[in-house]
Amino acid sequence: MTLFTKPMKLLTAVVLEQKSDEVVKSLLALGVMDFVHLDKLDPKQMEKLSSRPSSVSRAALEDMRHRIEVMLRQGGRSLPSAEKLNVQDMQKPDMDGYRKLLDGINGQLTSLKDAQRSSNQLVLGLEEMQRYINEQKYAFLDLRVGKPAHGGMDELAEKLGAFGAVVTTSSTDSGKYISLTLRRDAAQVNPLMDKFGWTETSNADLQRTALSDAAQAIKKRLDEAVRKRGDVQDQVTAVIANNAAALDSAWTNLRLNELCDQIRGYFSYTRNTTLFSGWVPAEQADEVQKAIYRSSDGQCVIEWTEADAMPRSEVPVQVSAPKAMLPFSRIVQNYGTPEYGSVNPTPFVMVAYLSMFALMFADVGQGFVLLLYGLFAMWNYKRKPQLKDGMISRNTSQLLVYLGVASMVGGALFGSYFGYSALPALWFNYDAAVNGEALAGQTITSVYGILGITIKFGIIVIYTGLAINWVNLFRKKAWLTLLLDKNGLVGGLLFGIGLYLGFGFAASGYRSFPSNPVIMPTIAICMLLIFLRGFISYALSVKEGGTRKSGGQVVMDAFMGWLVDALEIFCGYMSNTLSFMRVAGLGIAHVCLMTSFRSLSDMVGGAGGIAIYVLGNLLVIVLEGLSAGIQALRLNYYEFFSRYFTGKGVAYEPVALKG
Amino acid sequence: MNAVDRYEFLNAKLRARIGLMRSSTLIDDMLKAPTLVDAVGCLRESGFAPLAEIYDKTGDLQEMGVALVKGEIAAYQEVARLSDPKLASFILAQLGKDEEDNLKNTIRLWYSGVVRMHSIRYRSAYLYKDKIVQDINWTAMINATDWSGVVEAAKGTIYEPVLCSYTQEDLQQHGLFDLEIALDKAWYAEMMRSVGLLGKADREIADNLFLHDFDLKNLLRLIRFGRYYHMDAKDLEKVVLPWGRLAASRECRDYIASKAEARDPMPMVKRIFPQVASDVQRIVENYQDPKHTEELLAAETLRLETYLGTERAKEYGALLSKDPFTIGVILAYLYYYRKENMQIRAILNGKYYGYTAEKIREVVG
Repeated sequence: MTLFTKPMKLLTAVVLEQKSDEVVKSLLALGVMDFVHLDKLDPKQMEKLSSRPSSVSRAALEDMRHRIEVMLRQGGRSLPSAEKLNVQDMQKPDMDGYRKLLDGINGQLTSLKDAQRSSNQLVLGLEEMQRYINEQKYAFLDLRVGKPAHGGMDELAEKLGAFGAVVTTSSTDSGKYISLTLRRDAAQVNPLMDKFGWTETSNADLQRTALSDAAQAIKKRLDEAVRKRGDVQDQVTAVIANNAAALDSAWTNLRLNELCDQIRGYFSYTRNTTLFSGWVPAEQADEVQKAIYRSSDGQCVIEWTEADAMPRSEVPVQVSAPKAMLPFSRIVQNYGTPEYGSVNPTPFVMVAYLSMFALMFADVGQGFVLLLYGLFAMWNYKRKPQLKDGMISRNTSQLLVYLGVASMVGGALFGSYFGYSALPALWFNYDAAVNGEALAGQTITSVYGILGITIKFGIIVIYTGLAINWVNLFRKKAWLTLLLDKNGLVGGLLFGIGLYLGFGFAASGYRSFPSNPVIMPTIAICMLLIFLRGFISYALSVKEGGTRKSGGQVVMDAFMGWLVDALEIFCGYMSNTLSFMRVAGLGIAHVCLMTSFRSLSDMVGGAGGIAIYVLGNLLVIVLEGLSAGIQALRLNYYEFFSRYFTGKGVAYEPVALKG
Repeated sequence: MNAVDRYEFLNAKLRARIGLMRSSTLIDDMLKAPTLVDAVGCLRESGFAPLAEIYDKTGDLQEMGVALVKGEIAAYQEVARLSDPKLASFILAQLGKDEEDNLKNTIRLWYSGVVRMHSIRYRSAYLYKDKIVQDINWTAMINATDWSGVVEAAKGTIYEPVLCSYTQEDLQQHGLFDLEIALDKAWYAEMMRSVGLLGKADREIADNLFLHDFDLKNLLRLIRFGRYYHMDAKDLEKVVLPWGRLAASRECRDYIASKAEARDPMPMVKRIFPQVASDVQRIVENYQDPKHTEELLAAETLRLETYLGTERAKEYGALLSKDPFTIGVILAYLYYYRKENMQIRAILNGKYYGYTAEKIREVVG
């Protein structure tokens, strides 16, 4: 992991056109180049360059690949992994061959699906009869016991089959038959029965057992039809499995061709040469250069441009973080991409997020449940790679593991075990402080103490954000912003003065502010400096060729900018700091909820009490856990990021096999 | 309750869903899919994944259709649940269209089995049998052995008087056409009654949308039954829904009163849909040969329906940019929901029967 974004270099290369395919393959195999279009050359030079259309369009390649993916998913198969993508195996895509392969499989699947539909319709018919029997809606059924006087029973059964009839032999008398039809079909069934001379038996025993015989016959047929219907699904899977090798091979070749085509899309051509350009992490520059030399047999020209020579806003940003920090990288990515050359926010977010969560949701037992659930979800996703992300996604399940551990650490510090103080607190007993039961000598004895801790925690977070911002601005050489911005040194100083006044006011029992002769002059000088910033900024922009404005306009702009900055400093810093009281608020709510469930459980007692206690814990884990997670995210995004993170960077996106 | 209280929650909830529906590429992806299997594959990747599971399990498109109907009914019922009673009554009246369609399908199936004496076997499983709006005993209805059983199953509903006015002999002799027209009118009357209960702003929006629909429906019916099936004036009058501008127009009365062979729909088209009149005129001129009557009817209908479809899409889209605290967002949501369901159903059927993407697109719009 690096503390700052990774240094980058811009490569521009010219290779002989006949070597370009080999170069494409070697660059794809390396997978580290974030290509840029060569559209920033002199327009006259650009006219001499041309692009080459591919033999097969990328859209056609994508569509075909998508069809194969649909087929593989239908068969419950995973897509080939990136490890199977080997550029040396790449061939010209045989689109007709792939189409024939898919059409062939589709043909087989269509016949299977037709058979499955027939089985399903049989199931539907039988289920209807079964439902009427189970719900005792005998009025809809027509049950007969007897035998035909002329014609065979088989022939009659076949004809009755057209009406979905169930015909079986009586379990009491094998010479008698049972026919179960729906009464709504009586108009068709009655004449048929008459035609075969059906004689209804007068044997009461046979009549009594007929319904259960018919129900058994229905169940048997239904089971058989359901099995047949399910078998089709297995056959569909088998058909696709039989063709899996061909489908995988077609998929990998299509994917490779697509990626190569994507790279070629960035290439420009003269009659004999190919030009391309792209960003590469500085540490891999040599590797890329060697690969291009090797694949072009040394017939190439390569030029490197340092990132410093380019506008920072155009340099792609790669932030490296260990795999273990992935959930926190995602939190950063969701917000935006850091600027090139700035501090990598991931480790700071990790510490801030987990600390906030631990303060809001501190309980060893409940944290352990989160940890177990997170581990289970991770294991389940690993076991079933095809499983779609549910409400608890892959990323969230990893995050839950961290949150579980953080919560357990918090719980041990505050002595909370499923809401009970089972072991002494390592720091102070949160529960006792909230419920007014703190022992003398305890570090924190009331909710005011808890509020104070969270405000101090907030100040640390805000100052950390400011310090990161100052480092970023120093590296950017943005001296004016570093000195005079609301998040610069002046802003930090004013925040410090505000804290001094605030704590002094609290220390006096909310009666008076501390009297210090340095305070007011310092505030006045800071505000003057911020006001001057507008003028200095304008002078610098004019010096760099910016638009000139009238004197009045400059004064007005500077005044408005100053006013907004002043408001943001005085109100923004205060509200940002007080915002951290939510950490205490949620922690206190957590204790109050657990106290309530504990009391309820004690009042009810027995199994009911245990049930209340378990359900209460579950409710707290789900609701409070969610709430604490969201609030920690909010504090990071609004209170922490707003101090140093612009999110204006461009993400580094190399064309690679793993992507 | 003021408009903000009534609509704030629904507005936020439904707008988010509409946003998802409008930004989805599902319909385009399904249209592009070369086969049914590929089209179902697109569903697998979307919020309609349960439909794909039904296909995997049963291979039966009609089962998927039932699931779509269930989803549609649930969507209406959910919105109604989140609304105050007056609004809920209006939304349920809208849902009544599904109920009326289900009723017609049930009666058709019953008619096929009992009157026409065809085996209906498993086909009753494709009917929706739970409560939609009113207490209709669907199971009893489909199992009725005579017409009185059908009427009994719809006892206490707005359809009972309509069903009571027909006998099994009537249906045996004349078929279901008159009955279905009467059921349509019963539902429309109920729907317009619920519109009348809405507040002024909501009523204006609903009137504006529905009266347009009445005009198109009436026009299509008048062309189909009056011009091609040569229905006499008395019967033709019965098929006209008594709402909208067309039903009250002189052109409509003249058309009905004309001799069947001399009926010309153009004055009505010019009056109600002047923007599309020249297109319809051109279609009529292209199919002068009486042998091509069916093609002319299909072409005219398609043109008018396409026009209305486009206009409708514009109107419902425009509702989203108007006052958010009206019934507009709800109507837009239900429109987009129904439209997406209809498109999925049409594409799946089209792919099953091997129609090209272009042909299917003509239907789904």
